[in-house]
Amino acid sequence: MSLQINANMKRRYAAEKRFKAYAITALALAGAFLIFFFSDMISKGLPALQQAEILVDVHYNDTSMKSYRKAVDKPFRIIVSRGWLRTLPLHMEDHPELMGTTKSQWVIANADVDQYLKEKPHRLKKKYQKQIDHLYSEGKVRLAFNTGFFTRGDSKMPELAGIKSAVIGSIYVLLLTIAFALPIGVMTAVYLEEFAPDNRLTQTIEVNINNLAAIPSILFGLLGLAIFINFFGAPRSSALAGGLTLALMTLPIIIITTRASLKAIPDSIREAAFGLGASRWQTVWHHVLPLAMPGILTGSIIGLAQAMGETAPLLIVGMMAYVPDAPGSMLDAATVLPAQIYTWAGESIRAYEERTAAAILVLLTVLLSLNGLAVYLRKHFEKRW
Amino acid sequence: MNIADLSFYFVAGLLPLSVMAWMLGRNKVTKATTRERWNSRPGHYGWYSIVWLATPALAVALLAGLLHLAGLYTVPATTFLIIALIAAAAGCWQGLRMIQPSLRARDSIEKVIRGLLIAAALTSILTTIGIVIAIIFEAIKFFEIVSFWEFITGTQWSPDAASGDNVHGMFGSIPIFAGTFMVTIIAMLVAVPVGLLSAIFIAEYATDGFRNVAKPALEVLAGIPTVVYGFFAAITVSPLVVKFASAVGLHADYTNALAPGLVMGIMIIPFISSLSDDVIRSIPQSMREGSLALGTTMSETVKQVLLPAALPGIVAAFLLAISRALGETMIVVMAAGLRPNLTWNPLEGMTTVTVRIVDALTGDQAFDSPETLSAFGLGLVLLFITLILNVISIYVIRRFRQHYE
Amino acid sequence: MKKQHAILMAASIIGMAFIGQAEARDQIRIVGSSTVYPFASYVAEELGQTTRNKTPVIESTGSGGGMKLFCAGDGMNTPDITNASRRMKSSEFELCAKNGVNDITEVVIGFDGIVIAQSRGNADINLTRKELLLAVAAEVPSKDSSKLIPNPYKFWNEINASLPHRPILFYGPPTSSGTRDAFADLVMKSLTKKMDVYTNLYKADKKKNKAYKKYKNIRQDGVYVPSGENDNLIVQKLIKDKNAFGIFGYSFLEENSDRIKSATVEGVTAEPENISSGKYPVSRSLFFYTKNSHADKVPGMKDYVEMFTSEEMIGEEGNLTEIGLISLPEEERNATRHIVAKHIKLSSNMLKKK
Repeated sequence: MSLQINANMKRRYAAEKRFKAYAITALALAGAFLIFFFSDMISKGLPALQQAEILVDVHYNDTSMKSYRKAVDKPFRIIVSRGWLRTLPLHMEDHPELMGTTKSQWVIANADVDQYLKEKPHRLKKKYQKQIDHLYSEGKVRLAFNTGFFTRGDSKMPELAGIKSAVIGSIYVLLLTIAFALPIGVMTAVYLEEFAPDNRLTQTIEVNINNLAAIPSILFGLLGLAIFINFFGAPRSSALAGGLTLALMTLPIIIITTRASLKAIPDSIREAAFGLGASRWQTVWHHVLPLAMPGILTGSIIGLAQAMGETAPLLIVGMMAYVPDAPGSMLDAATVLPAQIYTWAGESIRAYEERTAAAILVLLTVLLSLNGLAVYLRKHFEKRW
Repeated sequence: MNIADLSFYFVAGLLPLSVMAWMLGRNKVTKATTRERWNSRPGHYGWYSIVWLATPALAVALLAGLLHLAGLYTVPATTFLIIALIAAAAGCWQGLRMIQPSLRARDSIEKVIRGLLIAAALTSILTTIGIVIAIIFEAIKFFEIVSFWEFITGTQWSPDAASGDNVHGMFGSIPIFAGTFMVTIIAMLVAVPVGLLSAIFIAEYATDGFRNVAKPALEVLAGIPTVVYGFFAAITVSPLVVKFASAVGLHADYTNALAPGLVMGIMIIPFISSLSDDVIRSIPQSMREGSLALGTTMSETVKQVLLPAALPGIVAAFLLAISRALGETMIVVMAAGLRPNLTWNPLEGMTTVTVRIVDALTGDQAFDSPETLSAFGLGLVLLFITLILNVISIYVIRRFRQHYE
Repeated sequence: MKKQHAILMAASIIGMAFIGQAEARDQIRIVGSSTVYPFASYVAEELGQTTRNKTPVIESTGSGGGMKLFCAGDGMNTPDITNASRRMKSSEFELCAKNGVNDITEVVIGFDGIVIAQSRGNADINLTRKELLLAVAAEVPSKDSSKLIPNPYKFWNEINASLPHRPILFYGPPTSSGTRDAFADLVMKSLTKKMDVYTNLYKADKKKNKAYKKYKNIRQDGVYVPSGENDNLIVQKLIKDKNAFGIFGYSFLEENSDRIKSATVEGVTAEPENISSGKYPVSRSLFFYTKNSHADKVPGMKDYVEMFTSEEMIGEEGNLTEIGLISLPEEERNATRHIVAKHIKLSSNMLKKK
């Protein structure tokens, strides 16, 4: 009898060990993916932080004003970025003191040179390769930190492409999203938690909010197109259209998290206020809301982080345009960082791949910091009633 | 003066006027010489005046806007501002007149605020209505051209074969939905085991320190934007799948369903693990202790006591995850193909509903062509499926939720 | 209570309605074809970098979508220019006229050739348009040309014994692409509209068999794989799968000429001179259409149009040619510049000619 029990126990313990092993494996898989993913992204994106530059003599004179190619000596004309050269005439207009001088400066090289130096696939002809090798040994070619990536907007020439206009566009869109979603979301949550009687209307609203949270993001894009752009006439590709659409998407999250924070506050606080003669609104505004603020803040940060990574609805609303300049106002055409990533991912020139990965790293850094901030705030302000 | 400037002036004018109205109202109270007790605090009477000031002005704005939208008449900018100003002044004057000690200002304001709150709450209903209208209008146009029955049951999707009136049998959406389901199934096959087992481990086996690291790590997966997942799926995972397949002797397209499915599964892991974790942790300790006291091992407790108790919540999480996978766009747009393909083989290229919607709305074809409208038809069905899943999951939670003492 | 929330909702509605009607604009707005998009954005960036104008905003909506937006009205909230990989249709011209867009100038900027590309390591191959049709069509004539059968060809030598025994596989544009329309027009419709075995079906039942008047259905059995805009993936596929052919625009071939090459069509190589002269049979013109009424109201619009049509851009050694545009012959380039300088108004007669 005890032998049987022992055998049984062995079997059960073995099963226990196996189960635990499966569970750990599952977690390990998830962890392994994270490591794989981040190392892949980092390895792909880091090269973009460097940009090839060549030390050349730049001639600021009348000939260059008329024909910018002549600003550098003949051997360098192909390997230097034409995109940079074409800005010289305007630059000389703005800085007349440069006229008649020749400066030796580091100039951005074109994309093929850049890719060649980074040992990636390139289309640099053999004779230029020899030229670059020679210049490199003389110290006249280097891979410098790519500040242009952060200070320039999009460009059709990968050596000049940067994320500045996309980042500014993202900021505008997010400001609009929060400006619309936060007040309306908090007001809705306050209504549902503090004021609403348990009637049909309230139930309908609650069901609606649940539904909205489950609707695929692309359908919000259809809504934005049909109502904000076609009916209300918001400009296509503008931060306004994108911000309003994302605001509607973020609304359910803010409502749900705000409600949770309001629920967590014990009734004793409310009753104390009533006892002193406060009206419902006075109670909410002066007592309940301030206590719920941390939770509301956390919820909005999470909602904001989600909105920042959205692309599909913005595709439909038109923010897929080529927008190299940063938007000046809410009505100007804009693009957002995820959309920029999407566009660059589809470009045929290979040099864009590393820039896409670098832009992804920037986006991930911002998002993960936001999420981390939210978690920190939640822990820090967590009050146990 | 353009409209943006106009609304700016309108709002910018209203603000200082409101402040003035507030002060006038309040001062009427503080400077009052009657001996009666005032019903509300002075500040309330200030807000009362603001209500009387702003409401007429906003009513004028509303009227002008409606007239403009209906195309009937566009009020010139300066006229509008003057009329709004006069209305505001008249309202303010009337409001101030009504201020007396017996006036229940606090209650009046409370009513106004309540109204504002309800209005805010109604936006969610308006949004749902908006989405439904936006999709239904165009979807109706589509279903006038293509019969709904053929759309649901047809297995041939070839929009370029459709020309003019001949659209029979060209818009059968089954291959497209098959693609969506295939990718979703692969995703769930990845997400459910990993998510559930991870949740169980974190909830039952892990030390606090481990939990503090593991839970945020899983949340990171949820924080990665879908476009990034899409890029990863297209550039890294797809070639790997093709390489492994040919190493095993199978042929895989670059736009196979396996790559986006796997990546989508990883994206969904946090949904399942987070929600399951919450549900499992909400089961009272007494149930665990009771089971362990009877001599079960931890895994037996989990399998036979905890999971059944947590089942409704887990099923709800499962349904939510499915509906997320169905509606996911960016990962499939970047990694899946464009060819409607009805097949069981995940290594073949196929397309999904969301990819077709994006392609139809951003493509080159004529705007009123059946192909563009098909996006709305597909969107309608997608919306419908998502809502049904949502309703089912709410029902499941409500019906099977166990109430602990 | 009802009054208050009605007012509030209305106020937000108004706010949004107002915001959309901005009068003055300082940025050129361009929509239209995804084929012209790379060239247009190149010129746009050049404008923004070399002059003090703001860079024009260019949206790739497709030729059809662009026409619809362009012809929606003449106000400043409509696009200034639309790009097209095909001529404006008469129906679109009428739509424009109906909505008050009367002063349009049509500008031809160059050609785009559609190439049949394969991995550079393959042997050269020559295909006729008829062979291409038989390879991609969903329905082809039976051996005795008496009726149509579903396409049975899986190898090239089944179509023409002198072609190699090579499996037929295409990666081509999807149904939403203008390139697909162009391919269908030039390779399929132009031939099938003259083939009795197709048109007889049409004549038998004009309503039900309308598709057979100019047949252009492409097979869906996996031999023709619709591929999206991600060009890198297509090139990778062509290199890996040496049997496959890619169908796309010449500019793309130019970008990747180190890895892929094109087949000759009816003996003609896909080269700029051949495309430009019309010898290469699978080519189309690229256009853009401008609203002359906007030219004075939007700063830089005139500069943009002049820059686009300048020799530096569309000339034979021009910048756009370097990224794959096939340039017009010299007389036509001069004609284009003349049209631009004189703001020649597009009329429905002009659309019907040529």
